[in-house]
Amino acid sequence: MINSSAKRRDLIESLIKSVLIFAAFISVLTTFGILFSIIFESVHFFQRESILDFLFGTEWNPDTAFLSGTARGAEDVASAQFGAVPIFAGTFYITFIAMAVAVPIGLFSAIYMSEYASTKVRNIIKPTLEVLAGIPTVVYGFFAAITVAPFLVDLFATFGMEASYRSALGAGVVMGIMIIPIISSLSDDVINSVPHNMRNGALALGMNKAETIKFVVLPSAMPGIIAAVLLGVSRALGETMIVVMAASLRPNLTMNPLEDMTTVTVKIVEALVGDQEFDSSLTLSAFALGLVLFVVTLIINIVSIVTIRRYHKKYKISNL
Amino acid sequence: MNMKKSATALLAVASLWASASANDQIRIVGSSTVYPFTSYVAEELGAITNFATPVVESTGSGGGMKIFCAGVGLDTPSFTNASRAMKPKEFETCQKNGVTEITGLMVGYDGISIAQSKENPKLNLTKEQIFLALAQEVPSKDGKSLIANPYKKWSDIDASLPKREIRMIGAPSTSGTRDSFDEMVMEKASKSFPIYGGKYKKIRTDGAYIPGGENDNLIVQQLAQDKDALGYFGYSFLEENHDKIAGVTLNGVEPTAENIADGSYPVSRSMFVYMKNAHIGKIKGVSEFIELYATESMIGQRGVLRTIGLIPMPKEMLKKVQTSVKNKTLLTKEMVEAHTILPLK
Amino acid sequence: METKINKNNNFYIPQIEKRNKQSKRFRLYALSAVVLSLSFLAFFLIDIIKAGIPAFTQSSVKIEISIDEETANNPYGILERDMSRLVSRAWLRSFPKEIEAHPEWIGTTQTFWALLNAEADQYLKGTQSKLKENQKSKLDALLQEGLIERKFNATFFFTGDSKIPENAGFYAAIVGSVLTMLVTMSLAVPIGVMTAVYLEEFAPDNKLTQIIEININNLAAIPSILFGLLGLAIFINFFGVPRSSPLAGGMTLALMSLPIIIVSSKAALKSVPASIRQAGYALGLTKWQVTKDHVLPLAFPGVLTGSIIALAQAMGETAPLIIVGMIAFVPDPVTSLTSAATVMPAQIFTWSGMPERAYIEKTAAGIMVLLTVLISLNTIAVLLRKKFEVKW
Repeated sequence: MINSSAKRRDLIESLIKSVLIFAAFISVLTTFGILFSIIFESVHFFQRESILDFLFGTEWNPDTAFLSGTARGAEDVASAQFGAVPIFAGTFYITFIAMAVAVPIGLFSAIYMSEYASTKVRNIIKPTLEVLAGIPTVVYGFFAAITVAPFLVDLFATFGMEASYRSALGAGVVMGIMIIPIISSLSDDVINSVPHNMRNGALALGMNKAETIKFVVLPSAMPGIIAAVLLGVSRALGETMIVVMAASLRPNLTMNPLEDMTTVTVKIVEALVGDQEFDSSLTLSAFALGLVLFVVTLIINIVSIVTIRRYHKKYKISNL
Repeated sequence: MNMKKSATALLAVASLWASASANDQIRIVGSSTVYPFTSYVAEELGAITNFATPVVESTGSGGGMKIFCAGVGLDTPSFTNASRAMKPKEFETCQKNGVTEITGLMVGYDGISIAQSKENPKLNLTKEQIFLALAQEVPSKDGKSLIANPYKKWSDIDASLPKREIRMIGAPSTSGTRDSFDEMVMEKASKSFPIYGGKYKKIRTDGAYIPGGENDNLIVQQLAQDKDALGYFGYSFLEENHDKIAGVTLNGVEPTAENIADGSYPVSRSMFVYMKNAHIGKIKGVSEFIELYATESMIGQRGVLRTIGLIPMPKEMLKKVQTSVKNKTLLTKEMVEAHTILPLK
Repeated sequence: METKINKNNNFYIPQIEKRNKQSKRFRLYALSAVVLSLSFLAFFLIDIIKAGIPAFTQSSVKIEISIDEETANNPYGILERDMSRLVSRAWLRSFPKEIEAHPEWIGTTQTFWALLNAEADQYLKGTQSKLKENQKSKLDALLQEGLIERKFNATFFFTGDSKIPENAGFYAAIVGSVLTMLVTMSLAVPIGVMTAVYLEEFAPDNKLTQIIEININNLAAIPSILFGLLGLAIFINFFGVPRSSPLAGGMTLALMSLPIIIVSSKAALKSVPASIRQAGYALGLTKWQVTKDHVLPLAFPGVLTGSIIALAQAMGETAPLIIVGMIAFVPDPVTSLTSAATVMPAQIFTWSGMPERAYIEKTAAGIMVLLTVLISLNTIAVLLRKKFEVKW
């Protein structure tokens, strides 16, 4: 009797365990699902278009592919060009602007919260800043398009400069605001976890507070801060709504932040909701761009995650 | 306890799913140009009758045809919008997949107007001039070969044109407006230069042509600011913004509703909605929807769709369209080849 | 600290003063960074509220209509011409239904508060409007006579999307969001909790487990739009889930919410002290029994908090939903999981692209509703965490 119920118990136990393992594998499957669904269509794309032209070409000119997509007969199809460099450049440039806003503000906010503010003040500031991260990106996009873009145009017009309504600067700055809390919260955690002995040692040696922070606390927190910045970069690269609403559709290879630029995510959305058939080169280009985005963010994420894990091991923090 | 809760939630979800009945709501797909008009009529149907409001999705004319022609099942759309007539190839696909009974409705016209800031002096262009200004490659002086577009100012093309920099703000390459512009201006004009052999060539990408966003209002704003620039968009935006921008005459013809409707303005096209007759009686409101669409108060000369940018067809034409819709005239191969939805005499 | 230092002091080192100044400046930088980011937030919220507040009221005009059988047939002819240019078409077209519902009206004269159209409403709200001068003076006159009133805009909360700006509402989007979130949560919570239980309670500490954990952290940082591509390619094109449906959108968002739920559930499980488990084992319980009956209930508040935060994030997500087609024109609230729906952020997105000016205030008002929901969810999560926080 006892024996059989114990057997049943073991059976249930192993059954449940396999169900749990299955659940754990769903997240792994998701990653592979994303990868495969992108690769599958990307292969179709690269069968039509050269992969080298895609990665290194500077002419993004899918118009003729578009015409064939609207079922207009092969006789009208000239060669389309899918050189994605201007799109990558725009993506990185807008990301760069965003980080130029987010890193100093985020990092200094983190320093203030962890080193200067009292616990009470910190407990108010930190969640308030995190509200910025909780605001949906479509809302930021609206803000960028309706408030920030006209403001920038007017501002630069007073200096006699011409800014586009869909300038890289507008989209980048708003994206930067969105990323501030990502950097400030993560850096705050990291800075807080630097052992107090290190600070005390530095102070005992006659360093003042700022010097302690600059020469002792920040260097030892650096791996964690870099990881936080990398996570911010990965967020910025993949951000969609802000750029769809506030950046332009034109691939534009320029260094002028007042000009309009486009990004990978904008092109993905444009290709998938526009006026063409699913198996046209233009639609498929969305997946090729998605693949690049996936690979780049994957590398950044993994570097960042591994760095954070190492850092946490060093200081024996265990929430990752 | 947590598990139990989620299990009940799952059950609730499953029962909701089971209660789904697809056949009391009309689904419409197709062109983004016709989308606002069809959405308006869809909403009207929901508001003045007891039928559910149809769901309208903008998938593009080509994409719409593809889904529409996929079969007659109730999970396929009942209507598709098109900013051009159905193509013979699409008609064949439809036939092959059992979508044999189709009735077409002509909605009206859409004109693509070229405009500039109101403060500029009047401007008249020909299609050929626009083509030469925007093509990637143009015929050389002797007309024997193609060279990269050298024109920087309009006066470089024709000395009678103003000394303004060439700058055209237009729709992005995925929009229906751009499709029509390419087809009706660029492609047509290219035919008058024998060196192209009638083949369409690309638009230049050195900054003279600026793809605007999907938001035509922004193009209007930019035109008001940038005095040199020209822009093109659906006629309704010109009509709504007469205080800021003025139309450029094309081959001497002013872009007005009358000129577009009678075809004298050279860049206009007809818009259509196609119905899957097999869904009549199976999905509620299908024939009521198309009949409502065809009424005077919707697409007539004084119809409400005019206020959102439709260019209505002439009265006699509307009469014919209404009879054809009422009789559920079936689309035939000959009609498709003639680019019409009306029965051929 | 602020006392003036005597520079003739023997211990005076000029560098120290400089260093201290630098130190103070550094503190100032840090403080101003915080002030700057907080003022971004404040400016942002004020900006949205300022744009959105007008949408919560709408103007109506008092009119008298003598009703006969004819009225029902031609609702657009009941008003004088200059008046019918000001009254909303949405109000006029629903008039026959009203008469049908009140047959006793026929043959009488009734007084109504008719909704004004968006252009008239915008003029009365003091924004730019395309009305002609004589229409504006007509409105001014009506206002003087007290025949125009601005009332609470109930339409906004009880109707769906509309091509007529004054008739557009947020209700269908709210219902769509609720249904989509139902799908998301009923998938993500069980899977997420089970994953966390496996990783925290059952999994051996080996390479495979580590890979799973790194993968989960990575999943949290994958751009959301790529989840949309997955939804499109696998759920819609491969499994044939209907496009634009809450089911397609909900499943896609569920995968996105998984990492948040897993990470917070893991933290909650970890915080349950080992002594509880050891007591269970000592009584002869199996691992699953200990987990199910003792560890999970104790970790429940943490799991709940994490799920609420995940819910808030999924509710604000737009990009993947655009890819799976949830931006169709859907005026009626969705009734099943497989029919087309729209959600709050998608509605905000479509409105923001509408040409009519009146949609700007609608968009901002929609944002206010969405933000209110999201901030309340997050506040609930924080309060729950505080309430159930146990120090072992």
